[in-house]
Amino acid sequence: MKILTTVKKVVDVELNIHVKDGAIVEDGLQYVINAWDENAVEAAVQLKEKNNAETTLVSLGGGDNADIIRKCYAMGIDEGIHVDDPALAKADSAVYANVLKKVVEKGGYDLVITGKQAQDTDSGQTGIMLAEALGYPCVSNVVSIDVLDDTHIKVSRLGDSGTEIIELALPGVITVSDSINEPRLPAMRGIMMAKKKKIDSMDLAGLGISGAEAGSNALKSEVVEFMASKTRKAGRKFEGDAAKITAEVVGLLATEAKVF
Amino acid sequence: MAKVLVIADIKQGVLKGSTLELLSKARAIGAETAVVAIGNNISSLAADLAKAGSDTQYIADDAGLDLFSAGPYASCVVDAAKQSNADMIWFGFSEGGKAVAPRVAAQLGAACATEITDVTLTNGGIEIVRPAIANKVMQRVKVNTKQLVAVVRAGAFQAVEGNTGKENVVKLAIPAADLKAVIKEIVSDATGEIDLADADIVVSVGRGAKDQAGVNLVKELANDLKAGFGSSRAMVDGGFMAHNKQVGQTGKIVAPTLYMAMGISGAIQHLAGMNGSKVILAVNKDPEAPIFNVADYGIVGDLFEVVPILREELKKIRK
Repeated sequence: MKILTTVKKVVDVELNIHVKDGAIVEDGLQYVINAWDENAVEAAVQLKEKNNAETTLVSLGGGDNADIIRKCYAMGIDEGIHVDDPALAKADSAVYANVLKKVVEKGGYDLVITGKQAQDTDSGQTGIMLAEALGYPCVSNVVSIDVLDDTHIKVSRLGDSGTEIIELALPGVITVSDSINEPRLPAMRGIMMAKKKKIDSMDLAGLGISGAEAGSNALKSEVVEFMASKTRKAGRKFEGDAAKITAEVVGLLATEAKVF
Repeated sequence: MAKVLVIADIKQGVLKGSTLELLSKARAIGAETAVVAIGNNISSLAADLAKAGSDTQYIADDAGLDLFSAGPYASCVVDAAKQSNADMIWFGFSEGGKAVAPRVAAQLGAACATEITDVTLTNGGIEIVRPAIANKVMQRVKVNTKQLVAVVRAGAFQAVEGNTGKENVVKLAIPAADLKAVIKEIVSDATGEIDLADADIVVSVGRGAKDQAGVNLVKELANDLKAGFGSSRAMVDGGFMAHNKQVGQTGKIVAPTLYMAMGISGAIQHLAGMNGSKVILAVNKDPEAPIFNVADYGIVGDLFEVVPILREELKKIRK
């Protein structure tokens, strides 16, 4: 079984993000592997260990992505592809899906695993749109994977009325939730070996995609402005005798917040 | 005049509140409204859907649509979108909506936006507002296509009663089952519990509850208030709470009138799932817990001590 996972380099959401003049202030930002993609990588590596799967990752855009790709190598991914191109600077999910489609067609993968969303856009569209572009079946928000045979897997997905058990015919696409696993910390040996591995880098032309297919004219939507979030202000914090402060807060919920 | 197609949110045969919210917003921006309802034995909802403010009801009612399956559901929405000539196709916030919306957008060649909090029509075009980067920023997004498929963030649009539409049912052709992604079964969540998405009050439990006894203590509080009972990730991972109870970016996004965070420290992913709540009350032992940065009222204390007092005090004022 050949597996492709997608890995996006995204802004670290643990740090403060500031907005000025409609744009995000780059100063002080740090970039990391998308957390949900780390779950996708872990899922792929587990399938490698259990089912002898061959594992490849692809990362689109992001400039110098060697750090996150090597991290995935250290976790156990066999091969890495980095597609970068100035035309991808403003790419939306549909554009990413079309680029990934070429990668999948070129490599002939049985299963594509993506994180359920990227933590910079929080859109959750690319994996599903990739499946649509390829005409592959797709299950999103997956929390477990079992290989049934060479052409079928059984997955469970958290749906609105319970856990959905679905049999997926391969080739197919799944997007994974962080509930699926706990990504491993790479061992020192893996980190050392990862340093020597090569990364297959290419631009869009290398995939047979023209700039027009990915550039601004191809965008179905574009961000015109960033704004600061309506941040909640910290309210009042009560410390001291539990009975006294709890009674006081309950009183405020009724008289001030008027929720009771 | 813009045309909006709303996807009815139906759970166990019952119409959920988001449907009225979305139809209300569509009317508020002066759009023509249609709704598409998909499921089994749901035709009887047509009158309710009209009452909620839709002027046309596209209905796909078939035993084969009993269990959610993204492929056939998307086919129904695409069919209704084409028949209604909709400019915008809106899903309420749900796992189903998030799974189906990108498919519909891909099939229609339309733009897709998830978790939108506002939408405006600008001389012929569409603009939306949505959060990004774990709610740390908002983005204004210009739609370049004629059509937009959107998933609306929970609680973003306000329900307005009294905008009755008219009953005009159009039956949709029933799509074939997805033979490449076969839904075998749905292991149902416990029934009879209050749906987090609909609850006016949500009580959530976090690591501070330590174990099952702590979880049960907090659940008593939720029961007293007839509140939805949610969880932080830690208690789901610990096996104390079911997956479907998790509040946060993974799990449910809620915006109740009152959110009560009991022993929850407030990881970014959790905050992103509840910081749209009207009023937030937090109880935590650690005075530096990030939850206090978003809480309107914070009680620094051990929930094992505070929750029983909270229950007693609430009983007094709710009499």
